[in-house]
Amino acid sequence: MDDLIPKDAAKPLKWVGTRPIRPDGVPKVTGKAQYGADFNMPGMLVGAILRSPHAHAKIRSIDTSKAVALPGVKAVVTSADFPEQKFEYVGPERVAVNFWHVTRNIMAREKVLYEGHALAAVAAINKTVAEEALALIAVDYEVLPHAIDVEDAMRPDAPLLFPDLITRGIDPPPSKPSNISKRIEFKIGDLEAGFAAADEIVEMEFKTAAVHQAYIEPHGCVARFDADGQGELWSSSQGHFVVRALTAQLLGMRLGDLRVYPAEIGGGFGGKTVVYLEPVATLLARKTGHPVKIVMSREDVFKATGPTSGSAMTVKIGIKRDGKIVAADGVFKFQAGAFPGSPVMNATMCAFAPYDIPNARSVGYDVVCNRPKSAAYRAPGSPISAFGVESVLDVLAKKIGMDPLELRLKNAAKVGTQMVYGPKLSHGGYVETVQALLRHPAYKTPLKKNQGRGVASGYWFNGGGESSATVHVNEDGTVVVATGSPDIGGARASQALMAAETLGIDYAQVRPIVADTASVGYTHVTGGSRVTFATGIAVVDATKKVIKELCRRAAMIWDVDVEGVTWEDGHAKPASSNVGDFKPLSLKEIAAKRALTGGPIGASAAVNPGAVAPGFATQFCDVEVDPETGKVTVLRFVAAQDVGRAIHPSYVEGQIQGGVVQGIGWALNEEYIYNAKGRLDNAGFLDYRVPVASDLPMIEAILVEVPNPSHPYGAKGVGEVNIVPPMAAIANAIENAVGRRMTELPMSPPRVLAAIDDGDKS
Amino acid sequence: MAEVPARVVLSGGLSRRYTGGVQEFAIEAKNLRGVIKAMDRLYPGLGEHLEEETTVAIDGEIHEVGYYQPVRPGSEIYFIPKLEGG
Repeated sequence: MDDLIPKDAAKPLKWVGTRPIRPDGVPKVTGKAQYGADFNMPGMLVGAILRSPHAHAKIRSIDTSKAVALPGVKAVVTSADFPEQKFEYVGPERVAVNFWHVTRNIMAREKVLYEGHALAAVAAINKTVAEEALALIAVDYEVLPHAIDVEDAMRPDAPLLFPDLITRGIDPPPSKPSNISKRIEFKIGDLEAGFAAADEIVEMEFKTAAVHQAYIEPHGCVARFDADGQGELWSSSQGHFVVRALTAQLLGMRLGDLRVYPAEIGGGFGGKTVVYLEPVATLLARKTGHPVKIVMSREDVFKATGPTSGSAMTVKIGIKRDGKIVAADGVFKFQAGAFPGSPVMNATMCAFAPYDIPNARSVGYDVVCNRPKSAAYRAPGSPISAFGVESVLDVLAKKIGMDPLELRLKNAAKVGTQMVYGPKLSHGGYVETVQALLRHPAYKTPLKKNQGRGVASGYWFNGGGESSATVHVNEDGTVVVATGSPDIGGARASQALMAAETLGIDYAQVRPIVADTASVGYTHVTGGSRVTFATGIAVVDATKKVIKELCRRAAMIWDVDVEGVTWEDGHAKPASSNVGDFKPLSLKEIAAKRALTGGPIGASAAVNPGAVAPGFATQFCDVEVDPETGKVTVLRFVAAQDVGRAIHPSYVEGQIQGGVVQGIGWALNEEYIYNAKGRLDNAGFLDYRVPVASDLPMIEAILVEVPNPSHPYGAKGVGEVNIVPPMAAIANAIENAVGRRMTELPMSPPRVLAAIDDGDKS
Repeated sequence: MAEVPARVVLSGGLSRRYTGGVQEFAIEAKNLRGVIKAMDRLYPGLGEHLEEETTVAIDGEIHEVGYYQPVRPGSEIYFIPKLEGG
């Protein structure tokens, strides 16, 4: 059956690589698509959540009696209504979940650990009553000193968030508690000998600010609960199976008693792979017997949902005069937020991954502090460490008088290069991204005064993992493709293209949907750039099973052996003239005979594909710095990325453009600004400045296609690596524009102006 | 003639936690199930940790841990912390 799939140039592809309109486009542009907040049910109540005004405080008591007594209030819950969870880290180290922590993040117990931390929730007949009820809940706090920044939180005298937190990953374990949750180290070669052999060594310190994923759609959900113990949830997320698992665990339910429906999603970028509202809404629905809707405000989103970590880091790299990197060392300290679990492990693993470095070490620290618990954000961790590494490489390139792209090319990781985390690289693609920029006509064009050009590269693992798909042939020969992957970046269009290509039918004949947790098999989150790869394999596998069945039905119709039937261009055909003289049968004609040949035609596939090919990106940008104000304007941005094969090139370009734009925001403006009381001063889009269209040039995306042999159409994950290089590329460009090396993000006008002024004074 | 064993390597963190710092092993097995069983015989309980907490790279190809992954004679197998994206 595998030979049904055209490989590379063996047979031209009809649909893969084309740009049809997306099947979910019309309802979205006409405002009819249903997002998390758009579901309504008869008898539905409104839920609201009381949040902490303090960064750190003991909860002496919570008195809800006045709120409960308010007419129109149907239920009030606090942490006492949630079952306690065992203190244990469950699952893989990088993403180990400790439900003792998770339940305390959903609803504070002994202490509040950040401004915005949930303390109690009400369900009432309308929003006005719900908010009035929140104001009647009396909380007696003992305010404690707080720690916001990572290096402050690491100090021996820092206020402790947890009195018994002992750092993991240090042998022997420390005798005293601290805010350092974990230390990680990866090492290859002989670091000391490597630096001793270097002709030039540069060591620099960097800081990055915590930034939010800044999805436009706030979190929202509706829950209902029946007297028989069956619950249902409608929620906007990146993975409704994970929403089900987390909610069920936090409420002590069986998975089979909770059905979760995927809403359309207005952005997630990693931040919607966890739960905040869903367990609370479900608990309120269970307590009241009514459906309950909860929707966050923008302020809630900023104060209570995961940004990615801010960081402090030191990067040291040594090179020979010919440009060969001989040693690299990085120490990365990440804010985890109020509970352990920053993406620092990814940062340590990705930091030097684009390069062949014989002697390297990367060390990471996961540090709790009085901020919201960090959550995944596009290539979590990798952009942060890349800011330091790619900046230091730029300084080194200047020191030896080498073009920065040529330096990267000389040291490029290739198949067989050992990664700092152990294994050897098994897929290429990096070299091609650098070469694509070296060939770009704008790379050598001269720039004007106060303008500069910067380059940087990035690495991301990409993901595989569990996915399910079901393919049904309708009675009229149209096809439904159902998967369990929420569509955050054009996944439905891509799945339909792969099914159409495999079947040999028109794209318009295929209707792709995202099915709920009871209607399709388990599917892991839409994250890690895994969906086109892993769910795509499930779709192609299910489609191949359908083709096999269609051939069997055609054989029955022709009364020949099934071996005598082949599938080509959407039709069953005799495999040879010896089989007989039969007119090819279309999908529609076979579907019309389905009852006579055995009933409805469909198949499912469930997969856990490995052999994941990583993503590489290299980018250059031109900027202009206003020396009077420090404002940086991005004039040009060119982003090359190895995408394997672009299934739907427009959506791949969209991913690259989106990642770059988020990187530009991270580089130039975005940051969480806390005041002396540990309260967030910019919890809104007016003061938390994301780039808008008028801030940006057209982002030029270059699709480098080094096909992935592990995928039937050669696809690699494309969603994340594009956000890794921009911060360093822009810092490098600023240095070339005005001669100032920026080492702290964001490189906002005041900070750039200060650097210019400081340089002028010195 | 005996087959060339696979070279099995644990990351530093895993070896610190579970094998007293021993990072490298020579294991004869036809698939990952065999590798995990052999590791579990050496360090009782380790198998479950490898199944639950790691991603595996077999000759550089990164996979989620699955019993069915084939192991060739002389393969290089790294158990590394499980990865997750955004």
